[in-house]
Amino acid sequence: MQRDPKLVELDEAMALAVPALRERPDLCLGGLFKQSRPVALVRAALAAGAKGLNLYSSPGAGYDVDLMIAADAVAAVFIPGVTLENRLCPNFRAAVESQRITAHALDALSVVGGLMASANGVPFQPIAALKASDVLKHNPLISEFECPITGDTLHAARALRPRVTFLHAQEADRWGNIRHLSTMVYADQLMARASDMVIVSVDRIVEDDVVLDDPRRVTIPSHYVDAVVHIPYGAHPTASFPLYAMDEEHIDAYADLGDAARKGDPAGLSEYLSKHVTGAPDQQTYIDEIGGAKRMQVLEQEAAEL
Amino acid sequence: MSDFSPLEQMTVVLARDLKDRELGAAGAAALVPMAAIALARELHAPNLSIGGEMFFNPYPSRLYPSMLDDRALGRCEGSETFIELFGHSHHGLDFFFHSGLQHDRFGNINLHFVGGTLDAPKMRGPGAANLSYCHTSTRYYICPTVHNVRNFVGKVDFVTIPGHLDGPQSKRAAGLTKEGPRFVITPRAVMDFDPDTLEMRLKSVHCGNSVQDVLDHTGFALNVPEGVGTTPPPSKAELDALRNKIDPTGELRH
Repeated sequence: MQRDPKLVELDEAMALAVPALRERPDLCLGGLFKQSRPVALVRAALAAGAKGLNLYSSPGAGYDVDLMIAADAVAAVFIPGVTLENRLCPNFRAAVESQRITAHALDALSVVGGLMASANGVPFQPIAALKASDVLKHNPLISEFECPITGDTLHAARALRPRVTFLHAQEADRWGNIRHLSTMVYADQLMARASDMVIVSVDRIVEDDVVLDDPRRVTIPSHYVDAVVHIPYGAHPTASFPLYAMDEEHIDAYADLGDAARKGDPAGLSEYLSKHVTGAPDQQTYIDEIGGAKRMQVLEQEAAEL
Repeated sequence: MSDFSPLEQMTVVLARDLKDRELGAAGAAALVPMAAIALARELHAPNLSIGGEMFFNPYPSRLYPSMLDDRALGRCEGSETFIELFGHSHHGLDFFFHSGLQHDRFGNINLHFVGGTLDAPKMRGPGAANLSYCHTSTRYYICPTVHNVRNFVGKVDFVTIPGHLDGPQSKRAAGLTKEGPRFVITPRAVMDFDPDTLEMRLKSVHCGNSVQDVLDHTGFALNVPEGVGTTPPPSKAELDALRNKIDPTGELRH
């Protein structure tokens, strides 16, 4: 018998993820704000017809969540902070204001605590650091309980078990051992341990020896990974440090289209979606259309200079 | 006109209040707070540690509009994850920073919505990730980079980040035992809170602004104690350190 590699093609990964999400539409996304977001996997899931999703993430997200809302694939957002940081997320905002999606009021500890409970195999994680915010009156992920040790009133964050988690990292071997080369790894390791199914895109595949020579560099052992897909620049337009920086210009131009749509002119946003999401057959075509190797060199240079 | 920018003025006011050997983090809208922490470390607080947001003691080569990514923080003394952030959130820091869509007379902050309801908002904001540092940390600072009648209101539409709630009694009742917001620092002025009522009051006005300017741009009747003066402007040493070492690309002057 031979060991089965977990390295698969993008369409094979979607054949796993999309039916699973039809079963239970809880999708969790790795990275944070404009870093290491699994954008190529998100685009592929949208192209494959993912719908009615409940979105989870590390506590801060922006472009990819907004893109999924623009593509009408989202029912509810369970992410504490949704922003492009330098501006609001246009489609998130428009969809919440017109009541097309539900944006729950949450905090970071409820989401992280829920993932911790799930990863550790217990029904809830106690939280003793939530007080006085109006968020507590609305947050659906927590319940008050009396601590059996101290008698204090605490919050229980119920275990969050995403049906599918998409992550992006810089490297993996063919067996699905993941190596984040970035300084921050966000909540990616926690999500991998908390989810039913984990699919990871990586910018490059390394030889087995690279993993074996430096096992402490493995951030997520293949045990937690269902499939790994080799997608160069798979986080674009978010960053994959230390390989390439975020494409602020691209995200800003997208946000301008989103804001135009919010104000009643959806033509530009529709064109963006059909060109980059539903219409781009593969990653190379996508990269060519957003500026090609020349644009990527600029983003690589920016990351290399840090 | 003064020869320094409003954001540089904000930065030095914040930096002067940070102490040596403290631990703190910059929060989400981190340009001015991160500059202030770096300036304090440079001038009078070399043992101050930056930590609590997944990295320790970063050495950014310049400032960025967003300061929560590897671009700014990748070169640092140690990295953590959201698991450790869960612990820091319970243990608290010495200081933290916040700003929002609305700030009210008791220093409560709203980042969720303006007008309507949470489910049917007129304008939906970004929300916020960390709601714990504001009451587990020794103190925090409110430092929005705009100050007008729309973002300084009598009462916020939604309390995302609790300040002093409705004053001392409500703060006690909610179990908020730490100082909460100490100062409100904007491009126009510095405000603090009356120790008896915990209501916001004017502390000093930055060069180039009058008390009347500040009142005209505040959406509630701001208390003006007697003897409100001018905010001490940045010293030459502060400006030199800021411009030469921390902000060589002039992000605080744009």
